[in-house]
This record gives sequence, structure tokens and C-alpha cells, in this order.
Amino acid sequence: MSHPDKRHQVNLFRPKKGQMRDEVLIIFAILFGWGVCTFGFQVLVALCQGTGAGSLLTRLTLFNLPLHFWFTGQFLPLWFIVLCIAFNLYIDRITEYHSRRRDRSYE
Amino acid sequence: MNDSSWSIFVVLCVLVSFIIVGLRQKSRESLEYGFGGRYTGRIGGGAAIASNWMSAASLMGLAGIIYLQGYQGLAYVIGWTGGYVLLLVLLASQIRRFGKFTAPDFVGERYGSAAARLIAAVISIAIAIIYCVAQFKGIGLIFSFMFGIDYEQGVMFGALAVVSYLVISGMLGVPRNQQLLYLVISVSFIVPLMWLARRLGYFWLLPQFGYGRAITDLSREFSIDFTAPFASGSLFGWCALCFTLMVGTAGLPHVLSRFYTVPNIRDARWSVVWGLFFIALIYWSAPAFAVFGRLLEAQQGVMLPPAAARSMADIIVLKTAVLAGLPGWLVGVLAAGALSAAFFTVAGLLMTGAASISHDIYYSMVNRQASESARMQVAKGSTLVLAAVVLLLALNPPGLIAEITAVAFALAGNTIFPLFLLGIWWDRANRQGAIAGMLTGIVCTFAEPLLGGALPQVAAFFPITSSALCGAPLVICVMIAVSLGTQAPPEEMRRFLEQEVHGHLD
Repeated sequence: MSHPDKRHQVNLFRPKKGQMRDEVLIIFAILFGWGVCTFGFQVLVALCQGTGAGSLLTRLTLFNLPLHFWFTGQFLPLWFIVLCIAFNLYIDRITEYHSRRRDRSYE
Repeated sequence: MNDSSWSIFVVLCVLVSFIIVGLRQKSRESLEYGFGGRYTGRIGGGAAIASNWMSAASLMGLAGIIYLQGYQGLAYVIGWTGGYVLLLVLLASQIRRFGKFTAPDFVGERYGSAAARLIAAVISIAIAIIYCVAQFKGIGLIFSFMFGIDYEQGVMFGALAVVSYLVISGMLGVPRNQQLLYLVISVSFIVPLMWLARRLGYFWLLPQFGYGRAITDLSREFSIDFTAPFASGSLFGWCALCFTLMVGTAGLPHVLSRFYTVPNIRDARWSVVWGLFFIALIYWSAPAFAVFGRLLEAQQGVMLPPAAARSMADIIVLKTAVLAGLPGWLVGVLAAGALSAAFFTVAGLLMTGAASISHDIYYSMVNRQASESARMQVAKGSTLVLAAVVLLLALNPPGLIAEITAVAFALAGNTIFPLFLLGIWWDRANRQGAIAGMLTGIVCTFAEPLLGGALPQVAAFFPITSSALCGAPLVICVMIAVSLGTQAPPEEMRRFLEQEVHGHLD
């Protein structure tokens, strides 16, 4: 007989308590930062085209580059590196936290 | 020596030096480090990820597509860097814990199906072939540039050179020094760029960030607006391409298998960060080549019609160096870097593809009693057959290097990425779902040529280079629906996923 309540379950949207839940939280946070800056910014640029805000995005310059070009071509790759560092630091921290908790539970 | 002789001399020196360094490394380390080679820490691991990643698409195709399309071409820069975020947060650690590093191995083990494994193997081989076609185009262009011959002859000589190099390296048993390869690729790409910026009078110490004034000059003096958003395409086109390249990066078989050589999960994660940084160094530089190329053409009154510009876009990096009057040896250095990247990418992909034919198809499906030497013979023969197929396709390349490569990414993003994602993060995904998902993914990837005539409205959502924006979510939905409608996977696999892959410390 199988026991439905005892069966093993893995689901990104229903993580187990403990480390997996913390891990999934940071995954969603990073994916949010990744998606908004990559695609959200492009949608903003497209929506603002022909408006005052649009010309602000394309006429303001940084490192002699129009803001939208600088953001996409130079800032986004840097932003991805920052996201990866943030993810790794957080995962290192929660791994240490949970391994300390686990070790205590065996005492 | 003239420019061409210098190029050939530098290229030969670089390729021979890889063999010499490899042989010295081999005799020093003997075989004690095993298959993965010496462990070189997180930074070394990052350089290995970056050199494994760099190909003709990064060093030639990227600048070419940006030269042609301006802002629209930046989708390639973002897609090929942002994919590493997906790979790191969703798959890297979990794949390491799962313990299977090739797509057919993972699919075969996770979904417990020989048919699914076979389809995954065929997809991996198709990805390798498409990817290699782009590399062969790059090699052919460089050979025709160096020797002053036709493109077709260049591809044939290039193919001969790659296969010979593969055979010689194989016979000598030369290990690949990934760190040295990255060093050669990055120096050979960035030093000529610095030289170029200095020659043109722009900020040369960090030319990656100093080409802004060249864009302003292009706009002021020649009325060429290089930065207009979505001028050569649409918002949908930009986002679809970028997303496709991202999920493709996270699903590309030879990228996933890199985690095998890193001894622990923490180092594997941090080496991704270093790898991404090393990749970004090149990707920040490629647009500068494109902008300088446009500027030099405009200054010298070379205004190419669109078709002519498209036909020479893939060689724009070398053309720009020549137009700027860079010394011959430096043009040779530039060619040597691009050629090394293409050579080693082809070598890696052909060998992986051949190993897949030998192991996943011949041994697993055709002859279970095959001896080790028989399988080796099949692998060697397959390498030559694959090289011949790639050569035939590359003689008449269907697009720019970046575009051909993007099709390989679309196939990976539509098939392997959803399989890994659900295989890792959803215990209920089963073999029927996996097979249905892969077949749907193949149809989505080739929907434009397959359905373009009959159903143009549908095909419009699946452009050949950018099909995964609509394709990958569709494949995930199909996998979920079919998995829920059929029998759940064995409890043993679900226990393994929960306790070993996700339950590591709790």
C-alpha cells in the first residue's frame, strides 16, 4: 500500500521546510532581478519610444554611450555577475546555517 | 613578410605551442589526476568554463551581428551572458549532486527510458553538428582571409586542418590546457582592440568602455545611428532571441558537462561566477570592434550595400584590423585567437558527438556485447563522418555565424533545458512527458521552415533563431500535462531526488 502523505515530493513551487525553502526563495529573488532588468528594461525602452521619457533614455549619456545602449551592452553583463555573486554568498550562508543546525540536532 | 604570411606564421606558432605545452603538462602530471586533469581552483575553473564557451561565434559572429544590426545585436551579448544566471541558480548544484553530466546520461537515468535517452542523444548530436557548422564557417573565412583563396576552398582546407590537428593531438595524447587557451583567446582579442582604439585616438586602456566617443562620431559626422533601439527588428524579436540564447546556454550539453571537473559544489558555483566574468570581458569588447569597423568604413568612404555588408560581417573583426592598418603580426594574433577558439570548440564537439554515437546509440541500442576497442573504432569513424557532414553543410552556410549558432541554442533551449529543469525540480515528471516534450521541442525549433508555408501565423511565434520564448514554455506545459496523465515515475527516483539532490543537508 502506498501512503500518499508520506511519498517523496520535489516541487519548485512547494519547497520543503528548511534549506530547500531558503534556496527557492533566493532563486526567485535572483530570477526576478534577472528578468526585470533584462526584459523589463527592453519593454520600458519600447514603450517610451517617441515620448519624452524615451528621448531621455536614448539621449542621456554614460561613458559617452546613450543610456539604453550603456545599460544593455555594458551594465547588464555586470549585473549578471553581481546576481551570481549575491546568489553564491547567500547559498554559502544558508548552507553553513543549516549544517550547523543539522549538526546540533545530532548532539 | 607580408600580412598574410605573418598571419599564417602566428597561427601555426599558436597551434603548435598548444601541443608542446600540452605534452609538457602531460609528462609533468602523469595520469594521477585522472580524466578531469589537474584541479586549478575557482579562477582556473572559471577560465576553463570561459575557454570551453568561446568559439567563432563569440570572437567573430558577435561583432559581425552587432556591426550589421546595432542595438538589436546586443540581444546576443545579453543572451549569452544571462544564461549563466539561469544555469547557476536553477541547475548547477543540483546537476552536480545528481551525478550525470551528459544530456543522454541524465535523461536515461532520470526518466528511466532507453527511448528518451536515444532521442536526447540524437538531439545532442544535432546540436553538435549545427554548432560545428558555424565554427567551420568561421574557420573557412579565416583560411580564405589568410591564404587569399575562395571561401569553399578555405572551408575544405580548414576542415582538413581541424581533423589533422585532432588526429595528431589524439595520437600524442595531448591534454587540453583550458587556462592557457583562455589566456591566448582573451589576449589575442583584447590587445589588438587596444591597439585599434589607440590608433583611432580613443581611450585605449579600457577600449571596452572607451568606444562611446566613436559612436558619437559616427552619428555626428556620418549620420549613422548605431544605437537606435529595435531599428533592425522588433521588441518581440529582441526578447525572443535573448530568451532563447539564455535557456539554450543553460541547456547546452557541453556547458553542463563542465561541472564534472570541479571537486565540490561550492567551488563549482564560484567557478561559474569567474567564468561569467571572463566571458563578459570578451563580450564587452565585441561591440567595440563592430563600432570601429563601421567608423573606419565611413571614414574611408566604403559604403557597402546590405547584401555585401552581410556577406563580410562575420569577418569584420579582421577587416577592421586591416582597415586600421594594424601591423601584420597583430592581425595574425587576432586570427590565431579566433582560429584557436573555433578549432578547440570543433574538436570538443566532434569528439563528444562521436562518443555519443558510440556509447548512446551503438553500444546501448545496437550491440550490447561490443568490446571496448570496437566502440573506440565506432567513435573514431563517427568523428570523421560527423566532420564530413559538417563540411558539406558549411560549404553553403545558411546564415551568419551567430545566427547558425543561435539555432543550436534554440534546439537546446526547447528540448534539453525543459528536461533538466523539470527533471530536477519536479519529481512527477516521467518518461512519457520527457519524450513528448522533446518531440514538441524539435517541432517548435524547426516550426518556421516546417510550418512557415502552411501556417505562417503560427510560425511567426517560432522564428528559427529565437523559437524558445514560446517553445520552451510550451514544451514545459506539454511535459506537465503528459506526465500528469500517465503513470508516476518510480518511487526510488523520487526518493533520490528528494533526499540526494535536494535534501543534502536537512
